[in-house]
Amino acid sequence: MDKIFELKNIQLHYGTNHAIKGINMDIERNKVTAFIGPSGCGKSTFIRILNRMNDLIPECNIEGDIYFEGQNAYAKDYDVIELRTKVGMVFQKPNPFPMSIYDNIAYGPRCQGVKNKAQLDEIVEQSLRRAALWDEVQDRMKDSALSLSGGQQQRLCIARTIAMEPEVILMDEPTSALDPIATQKIEDLIVELKELYTIVIVTHNMQQAARISDNTAFFMLGELIEFGPTDKLFANPKNSKTEEYITGRFG
Amino acid sequence: MNNKYKARYRQDNLMKSLVYAFSSVGAIFLFLIVYYVVTTGISLVSWDLITGDSRAINTSVVVDTTAGPYPLSIELEEGIFYSTKWGIGLVEGTNREGNTIVEVGYVHPNSPFNNAVDQTQVDEDGNPIIWQLEAGINVITGFTDTDFFITQDGPERIVEKLEAATVIERFTIQQEGGGIRGSIITTLWLIGMTLAIAVPIGVSSAIYFNEFAKYSRATKIIRSMVDLLTGVPSIIYGLLGAGLFVPILNSTLGTAGGSVIAGALTLSVILLPTIIKSTEEALKVISDDLRKGSLALGASKTQTVFQIILPNAVPGILTGVLLGIGRIIGESAALIFAVGAAIKDDIILTERATSLAVHIWTVMGGEAPNYELASAIAIIILGVVFVMNFMVKQIASKLNKATY
Repeated sequence: MDKIFELKNIQLHYGTNHAIKGINMDIERNKVTAFIGPSGCGKSTFIRILNRMNDLIPECNIEGDIYFEGQNAYAKDYDVIELRTKVGMVFQKPNPFPMSIYDNIAYGPRCQGVKNKAQLDEIVEQSLRRAALWDEVQDRMKDSALSLSGGQQQRLCIARTIAMEPEVILMDEPTSALDPIATQKIEDLIVELKELYTIVIVTHNMQQAARISDNTAFFMLGELIEFGPTDKLFANPKNSKTEEYITGRFG
Repeated sequence: MNNKYKARYRQDNLMKSLVYAFSSVGAIFLFLIVYYVVTTGISLVSWDLITGDSRAINTSVVVDTTAGPYPLSIELEEGIFYSTKWGIGLVEGTNREGNTIVEVGYVHPNSPFNNAVDQTQVDEDGNPIIWQLEAGINVITGFTDTDFFITQDGPERIVEKLEAATVIERFTIQQEGGGIRGSIITTLWLIGMTLAIAVPIGVSSAIYFNEFAKYSRATKIIRSMVDLLTGVPSIIYGLLGAGLFVPILNSTLGTAGGSVIAGALTLSVILLPTIIKSTEEALKVISDDLRKGSLALGASKTQTVFQIILPNAVPGILTGVLLGIGRIIGESAALIFAVGAAIKDDIILTERATSLAVHIWTVMGGEAPNYELASAIAIIILGVVFVMNFMVKQIASKLNKATY
């Protein structure tokens, strides 16, 4: 198994709140890993550990070892900006920048110093194609990204992440603000994208996890209850809590 | 109507009528102020007032001594007394300061007064200056001849003496002053320089407080001090200007007493809290999702602030700038100390001058308050405010990325 992330004994505190309680997990390269669990179980907190977005939260303490491609991602000399270019993130609520569609995609590469117009054009087109948005927006690149529909905005955010040529794309409930048709498109997209990228997705929707993921992790109250191949976890949960959750008895 | 809801309807209607009543009181007062200012001052508002010199030009001229007669071929307006012998008609009037004066009402085409040669000055090339005495513009303040005339004689008496005179050796004329060009220019300089100083400092401070500063006791204290500063009376800032900026400028730039630069520095300090607060408010309402989105793309904090946060805060910052412009134009107390109340025509930034608001104070401060001139200046101020608001809104709509 090709491990892109290795997490060892992760503890996370928000002030006095013990949010993640000693989790060990390996994440496989070019697979879709889904995090499921009831609200407040720590799955969104856990995904933010992977690109160090928790650094932004004051009084958030993380202990344990997090290795990304074999390197300690929380080491003092590890550049958080480099980590975030390699581990992109798509958020629950589509958050395109209030600028043109083109500029939204070009923003990341420009921040890394790409100035060449032809190169940017190529990155923008390729990213939009991969995010299955090119056909819908190719004639309106100068339009505001905010003029797009919710589903299109979310695919734009995925395209924006792809433009950085990341290794991993983290998705924090990417479809929970979208209608079923837009959700369907994003799900199809995720399945296509796993050829090129490792995808980690947090979802409230167990069917979604079952449909698109290769591995599933079930969290509860800050603990990792069960982690394994999706088909096995859904067909034969080893833990009784997992079984209760996926059969809809709580959560 | 259902009885159950009657009490609620009554209460709703009461609250609604209170809102209407109070808002109409506000609207009526605003209307009354504008109405008073416009009706009192509009007669004095003219291009001359805006572009004219404040200081009257007094000069002495001689005319050719060939006496007329120059009989009238046209009917003169009522109140103009005409001297057939010299071909000049005089009329009583009032100047912008409200004093009674004698104005030229009519000059006959062949009158020697068409060639009045200035005795006190020559033009740039050294040639004599010929004054064309035009109706309504030049004001006669006195004559010297065999007899001596003064303005207080009134036009009728002066014309009688003119008719009796055999020769006119010399008389003095005055080109009317009272223009406010200098004060307008000073005000525009103050706006420009103050914004140039206060906006970069204020916006940077707000960015620091809101985006970079870690939450600590020190930043909390500084923030509450900024809040406190917005409520400090401006005359205290004037003291700061007089006690700090004026001496510093006196020793560095060699100014003597107040100056336009000292005024701009003082106003910058007055403006800082306003600009910091409005920028901070603008930064606060920007969704954290945008910050996270940018950082998650591997943008640095600084890139996020300057490329995502700041462009979205521009409308809020411009609101602060608008408030600031209003404050600069309206400020008088602080400027009396820092800039002075010297009404001038040629503005030198290192010298005393006066802004429009202080000009009103000067006009109203004398023994005989001149409501007309004060209102006329007020109309000009309203005009300047209107133009500034329009310009800022134009810039805002150009830069507004939030509605992109």
